[in-house]
Amino acid sequence: MESLKQNDQAAFEYLYEHYSGALFSVITKVLRDNEKSEDVMQDAFLKIWKNIASYDPDKGRLFTWMLNIARNSAIDAVRSEKRKPGMDDITDRLDRTDQNATYQPSPSTLDLKALVDTLRPERKILLDLVYFQGYTQEEASQELNVPLGTVKSRLRTALKDLKHYFII
Amino acid sequence: MNISAYIDSGILEEYALGIVSPQEKQAVECLTQVYPELKAELESIEKALEQYALQHGVAVPDRVKDAIFAQMEFGSAGAPALAAIELAETSTAKTNDDVNPFIQLEAAPSRPLWGKLGIAASLLFAAFGLWMAAQYGTTLGENAKLVSQVDELSKRTDQLQQRADYNEALAANYRNPDVKVVKMPGLEKAPDSEVTALWNQKTNEVLLDVQNLPDPPTGKQYQLWTIVDGKPVDMGMIDDDFRGKLLKMKASSPNAVAFAITLEDDGGKPSPTMDEMVVMGNV
Repeated sequence: MESLKQNDQAAFEYLYEHYSGALFSVITKVLRDNEKSEDVMQDAFLKIWKNIASYDPDKGRLFTWMLNIARNSAIDAVRSEKRKPGMDDITDRLDRTDQNATYQPSPSTLDLKALVDTLRPERKILLDLVYFQGYTQEEASQELNVPLGTVKSRLRTALKDLKHYFII
Repeated sequence: MNISAYIDSGILEEYALGIVSPQEKQAVECLTQVYPELKAELESIEKALEQYALQHGVAVPDRVKDAIFAQMEFGSAGAPALAAIELAETSTAKTNDDVNPFIQLEAAPSRPLWGKLGIAASLLFAAFGLWMAAQYGTTLGENAKLVSQVDELSKRTDQLQQRADYNEALAANYRNPDVKVVKMPGLEKAPDSEVTALWNQKTNEVLLDVQNLPDPPTGKQYQLWTIVDGKPVDMGMIDDDFRGKLLKMKASSPNAVAFAITLEDDGGKPSPTMDEMVVMGNV
């Protein structure tokens, strides 16, 4: 963190190698347009670089902060085109998440991925909508035609499952 | 403050997902500073989400990285923070130039001393007046901000108090040996539902704890039933505002063998609509 704040090149290279894949995935999920996504990825990472001094570790993890920047940049880009952030057909999404998530698999990440795939599909869709695409719970409830209370409880269960997989 | 109740409320998850209101965001940021347990919990939620996101990473074309790093300058020369400071310095330099009229005033040779003093005094007085006005304005603004913060906090405290009362009432019931706990899991209609009836076997008083039920559609309301001697018996309507509190229902017959909830028209029915049953549990 210190070397990032001191604007050290190696630190930013490390940051890019580690996190660009996850950030890019969020951007493409929101934009659904590969060319535009590359532009937005550039903007987002430059924003991260320019604003690194304003990141406050007391308020949360660096990744959460970066993801917010990437997601907001993507949502802004969609809004400037005056279309709604995209929601794919549900079955299409289920197929695609599997194809997309094959980035640099090492044996241990393969195990983790298998675990993640055991998340119940209705929870995974919700998590992706809200976490990756920036939907509010109300919007997700409308989009999926599921009561708000169910959206909330499914999201919580999904996060409990995730914590279970990754922390324990 | 009841830490586990706060964690159970799900607000930390919502914060990590980025879907809280600005007020809730402030509250979380404040409380996680005060309570290390909350900070640890938030950290573990964020870590889990981070892992999840990393699992879903996709390869970025190399040209993107090249384009990005070509626009970045590293080391102290290119540091964005330093650039900002330089900018601030140049702008103070400019304001110094603007002060020059005073110097010109002094340089005017023909003006008598009392005139100079008079002008200086009136300038000082005007500056003082402006300064006072600015001070007053800031104080007013700060006052309004504080008032709204206090409002926000007291609202928050009320909510927390309500939650604490609810949790204490729950604990008291679970500890009471006279109280029979009847769990009603969700049926096909609403599989995520979960409701618990707390049935005091001495007084036959029944309290209902709704952990999860879908919002009832407009014009509809939930109704509680018991099964006594093979027949459903009405136990009362469930208030639409059923979350986070214990609901007092009608007293039960000592012979009840099961509890169930159905979705009925507002005001309820004399007998249950069986295919609108959402939860059920045997005693």
